[in-house]
Amino acid sequence: MAAWVKGNAADTDAAVDAAATLLATARTPVFAGLSAELAAVRAAYRLADRIGASLDPAAGDSLYAELGSISASGALTTTAPEALGRADTVLVIGKRPWDGDLVAELAKTKPVRGRAAGADRSVLSLGGSANGSSRHVAYGVGNASLDVAIGHLRAFVRGNYAGEEAFGDLAKRLLAAKFGVVIYDAGEIGEAGTDMLLGLLKDLAETTRVFALPLADPFQGRAVTQLAAWTTGQAPRVGFGRHLPEHDPWRFDSARQVAAGEVDAALWLASLPSPRPDWLGSLPAIAIVGEGSADARPETAEIVITVGVPGSSAGGAVWNERRGVIGYVEATGKAVADTAASVIAGIAKKVEEKGASC
Amino acid sequence: MLIRIQGGRVVDPTDGRDAVGDVWIENGKIVAPSERTPDRTVDATGCVVMAGGVEVHSHIAGGNVVMSRLLLPDLYVSESAPNGHPFAHAGGSGSWVGANYAKMGYTTAVEPALPPSNALATHLELADIPLLDRGALAVLGNDDHLLQILRDGEGKNAVRDLVAHTLSHARGLGVKCINAGGASAFKDGVLKLSLDDEIPVYGLSTRKIMTALLDAVEEIGVPHPLHVHCNNLGLPGADDSFVSTLDAAEGRRIHFAHAQFYAYGAVDKENPLTGGFRSAAERITEAMEAHPNATFDVGQVVFGQTVTISLDVLRQFAGRKGANPKKWALSAGDAEGGGVVPFLYKPRGGVSSLQWAIGLELMLLSKDPERTILTTDHPNGGVFTEYPRIIHLLMSREEREKEIATLPAVVGERSSLPTIEREYTLSEIAQLTRSGPAKLLGLTDRGHLRVGAKADVAVYRDSPDRTAMFSRAKLVLKDGETIVEDGEITTWRFGRTLELDVEADAAIVKRSETYLQDRYGQGLDSFAVPDAAFSETENFEDVACRA
Repeated sequence: MAAWVKGNAADTDAAVDAAATLLATARTPVFAGLSAELAAVRAAYRLADRIGASLDPAAGDSLYAELGSISASGALTTTAPEALGRADTVLVIGKRPWDGDLVAELAKTKPVRGRAAGADRSVLSLGGSANGSSRHVAYGVGNASLDVAIGHLRAFVRGNYAGEEAFGDLAKRLLAAKFGVVIYDAGEIGEAGTDMLLGLLKDLAETTRVFALPLADPFQGRAVTQLAAWTTGQAPRVGFGRHLPEHDPWRFDSARQVAAGEVDAALWLASLPSPRPDWLGSLPAIAIVGEGSADARPETAEIVITVGVPGSSAGGAVWNERRGVIGYVEATGKAVADTAASVIAGIAKKVEEKGASC
Repeated sequence: MLIRIQGGRVVDPTDGRDAVGDVWIENGKIVAPSERTPDRTVDATGCVVMAGGVEVHSHIAGGNVVMSRLLLPDLYVSESAPNGHPFAHAGGSGSWVGANYAKMGYTTAVEPALPPSNALATHLELADIPLLDRGALAVLGNDDHLLQILRDGEGKNAVRDLVAHTLSHARGLGVKCINAGGASAFKDGVLKLSLDDEIPVYGLSTRKIMTALLDAVEEIGVPHPLHVHCNNLGLPGADDSFVSTLDAAEGRRIHFAHAQFYAYGAVDKENPLTGGFRSAAERITEAMEAHPNATFDVGQVVFGQTVTISLDVLRQFAGRKGANPKKWALSAGDAEGGGVVPFLYKPRGGVSSLQWAIGLELMLLSKDPERTILTTDHPNGGVFTEYPRIIHLLMSREEREKEIATLPAVVGERSSLPTIEREYTLSEIAQLTRSGPAKLLGLTDRGHLRVGAKADVAVYRDSPDRTAMFSRAKLVLKDGETIVEDGEITTWRFGRTLELDVEADAAIVKRSETYLQDRYGQGLDSFAVPDAAFSETENFEDVACRA
């Protein structure tokens, strides 16, 4: 496995030792990315607890658009397989859901389970793509933002507004659904939009069955959230500076922390693809990246360690987007010796030997 | 290492022991008294020695437990953990669960809701609960594959094979059904379901689904009887659901989850949902006495804030109106899904007080504590750390009277609790928390202190303040290793997850693969719980089927 320390090739043991030295002397380290198999993320939370680091997943912003709404109001959701199996009405909000395959698959198929089985499926869109790639009925939002448009639609569903406007028609379609599904990306519609959408769904629940299907981020955010919750009792953005998990989405936003000069070392974990933070080169940092990835090069960070890629050169528990659960993927190619979990465990062991500053 | 726990009051109802004596341990097992000099002697003078506690129904892992933390992140308080005990004081975390059970002298805990569609995450979470042996019950009763087989009248063998395969693939310890058919019915617009109501689309009923599962569990030889969460939980008149479900078992082994939530007789039979409820504890007790095939856990209510977690999506949807604070999360997931609804059992509130009284009544009226398991249905009735207080109330009439005196008159008007004089003995407490649950789970190696048992042992300082006594054990051994001293964790170790050793028929494996590919676009591999996913090298331990 390739590794570099300050631009020079090193063996993994030497890089792990250098990483431990950096973290053991750091006072306010940050672990970012967390786009990795769960065993590695688990090891990262344990190391963070040991040295008083804070953690922030790459998916932080979109995750917290959803998590903020959950902690304030709750959720009313279903899964992609249930949408495909049962939905007679699908509302697609925004543009991002059109990027994946799910909407097209829904547009091509009919429900096969439940009371809507065999019915035609209506695909509706709100403020979405007009590319005509899938058969759907489009509702524009004009100059309104998506959160405002959702609020407007909710007013029609509640009966606060009435009339023959397009949103009145959309409200009627949703109220007539036997099993409706609303697909959206929380990062696109924002926390206010997510919260308003939940209110809309709760209103619809008084009449029929309509559920949210928020799209998962592509950076393991959903899996990290689960592990963070059972490990710390909290959502992912926690800090251990005071030797207990303190959850604070604003305080432990890694980009904000770095911009404010609060961070003196970083560990970026990305055994799976993840956008490299633009601040990574601005401070002493360790990058644990997938072998063969674009970031597996000496310039990425002060210390770079390459590791097996889950589903390719390593096995691992990762987010299964299709099913909306954590699943295990085997290595499809030759498994490599160093995994992200074993590297972090190695760093933790060395930190223990050196004695961390926190 | 040979260990002698000397001079304590040894309480083991399975062996008729309740007297001062010794317990000997070697190589992680209880052994016969030895002539050899022990390597370690524990002075248990003035202490009570029991087997480690066994929990049969506590929601400690799974997607809905995760959601409860996200919905109500301030339910628990986090404190700084001692060095070497990662996350032990992170309120509500898996480590916190393990540490708090261990401090009370519990050494085994079972999560009663393992959704086969989300088995890996649930097991990963269980594996991060330290100190205890764990297990989980695979949930069936709403999945389309099972309902299709039943609808098509494929017969008992097909159901048995699917159940065995599901158990094996999800690595469960037993089988649970939760308001069988209810989640499916909910998705099709139903709001209330009773035992013989038709499940839309499938033409089935809860009775048909549940009895098919009862048969399958017996045929497979699952040690734990089918774990049943009935229809109509928490509604006035739910006692009818309990009794009719008991009758429907027709003599087959059956376990009822959180019976307290069903011991609600309708005050106005004509208008059951508007007239309120009164205790049906006596009716439930009589029914249980007439059906020795049945067991129940209590689901005792504890005053204060909690969050309810259930795969009974139908019930949780109805319960959303009572959410306190006013937020809730509900998932119409694959098969059951689930619901998470915060709830406040109002201290000295009329309804909460009656619920509290009914749970205690059920335990105090029971003539067979070994078939009456102490639970709070954590966290649905309240947090499991309240067990010591509940034990105190069971063991002291005076303590109950003091509490009742602070509660509204409805406790006396609609329950018999104030008139009950019974005080539980230590042996009965051991039945309620050790031998009963271990026997119920079919775990013959624990729940007692007979030779050959696992050396899971709890030593408590005997005190009339039973709350204090059972809150912080003086000493807890897990597999013969000290994990708690003076109420604090001393050794951070991991137990095992107990799974049933059951083989699946090759034909149903092939058939399931086809079904799953058709439904999910992915097959059995995506549902797998492989050993390689776990950080600890030996995470699972087999439990044999019944002969």
